[in-house]
Amino acid sequence: MLKVLNREIKEIINTYPEVGRILEEYGIGCVPCTVGSCLLKDVVGIHNLGPQKEATLMYRIEKAIYPDRKISEPVVDMTTQSAPKKITYSPPVKKLVDEHVLIKRLLALIPSIAEYTESSLRVDKNLILSCVDFIRTYADKYHHMKEEDILFKYVDEKAEIIQVMYKDHDTGRGYVRQAVEGAEKNNKTQVKENLLAYRDLLTQHIKKEDEILYPWIDRQLSTTQVGEMFRKCNAADASVGDELPKKYEKFIIELEEKFLQEVTK
Amino acid sequence: MSGCPGSRTIDFSEKTNQEGSETGKRPSQLRQWPIQLHLVSPMAPYFQGKDILLAADCTAFAFGEFHKDYLKGKSIAIACPKLDSDQEVYVEKIKSLIDDAKINTLSVIIMQVPCCFGLAQIAKDGAEKASRKIPVKQIVVGLEGNILSEEWI
Ligand SMILES: [Fe+2]
Ligand SMILES: [Fe+2]
Repeated sequence: MLKVLNREIKEIINTYPEVGRILEEYGIGCVPCTVGSCLLKDVVGIHNLGPQKEATLMYRIEKAIYPDRKISEPVVDMTTQSAPKKITYSPPVKKLVDEHVLIKRLLALIPSIAEYTESSLRVDKNLILSCVDFIRTYADKYHHMKEEDILFKYVDEKAEIIQVMYKDHDTGRGYVRQAVEGAEKNNKTQVKENLLAYRDLLTQHIKKEDEILYPWIDRQLSTTQVGEMFRKCNAADASVGDELPKKYEKFIIELEEKFLQEVTK
Repeated sequence: MSGCPGSRTIDFSEKTNQEGSETGKRPSQLRQWPIQLHLVSPMAPYFQGKDILLAADCTAFAFGEFHKDYLKGKSIAIACPKLDSDQEVYVEKIKSLIDDAKINTLSVIIMQVPCCFGLAQIAKDGAEKASRKIPVKQIVVGLEGNILSEEWI
């Protein structure tokens, strides 16, 4: 079993598809992951399942890989079992989770924007570029930069999960470039497809961060590091000024008003 | 059972001597004096830029690993929100620790009895009055010395 623990998850799932199904049952979504080079032991550890669940999961995985082996079912002392915890974030991480909310509000409008683009005579270049400005300034410069320059520095940056996050940020930047190009060339399909791809990517990305990555990082931070990170994030926010988040919140509110009207029209 | 849970008599002498080892020395993690919140000055060098533990008096006696798990690496102030007088001074001192001593974080460790949450309130009030913002954590110790919760507030 030790050997399997140190193998890449994608390789394990490809060889033993049953393992993928078992992981999904536990809410561990490795099957659709684009990278899948996390080691099995990290995949299980990162999800913080609690001793009872983790032991049962490992037992079932071992059974699926070695059906002929005699493996005894895990006995876990139920009295020491802790109740499933609701996620509580440290203050600096909580701030990042809160920033996701405004980004998700834009993501929610993207299907309407895509439809509007499709049904318009020409690409509404101003509209697309203003959305791109939100993505590049608020989501990327203001939010992703704090993740990349501050948060990720507190853990092993070579860890696969961090690499996946970097890759997502980069892929997102690519979609945005493509959408801009589409807007310049008045190519409706290019705008629409790239905005929708950005939406799918970021929806999954934010979910991974809120539910898996951030709690995993928080568990490793000492009290001193939490205080230090809080200061660094505040300094980063101060360097762009109070007005920036306010400006983009106003932008989203106006966009919501416009597209809610479009829907009811 | 009736009356204030903070002063209700409970005997759990049967339960206390469970596992745990008596071997090995446990050095004190205290690095300062004084420690009582009325006696300390926020200007003291041992508070500047530090992580501070604000402990309800009873917690150090109730929680066996107090030094190792919570005091280590921190500076401390202790108080009792039930019996101490002039608690407005406490709020001002917390504010001054945050604004003047520029402490890094504040962890408040209290007992589970309701009156002890008064100390967490003092910490919150002081933090709210301060113009700097810092992370504040609340740790609740059960009467039998177990940690009931630990969360950022
Ligand atoms: Fe991210
Ligand atoms: Fe994020």
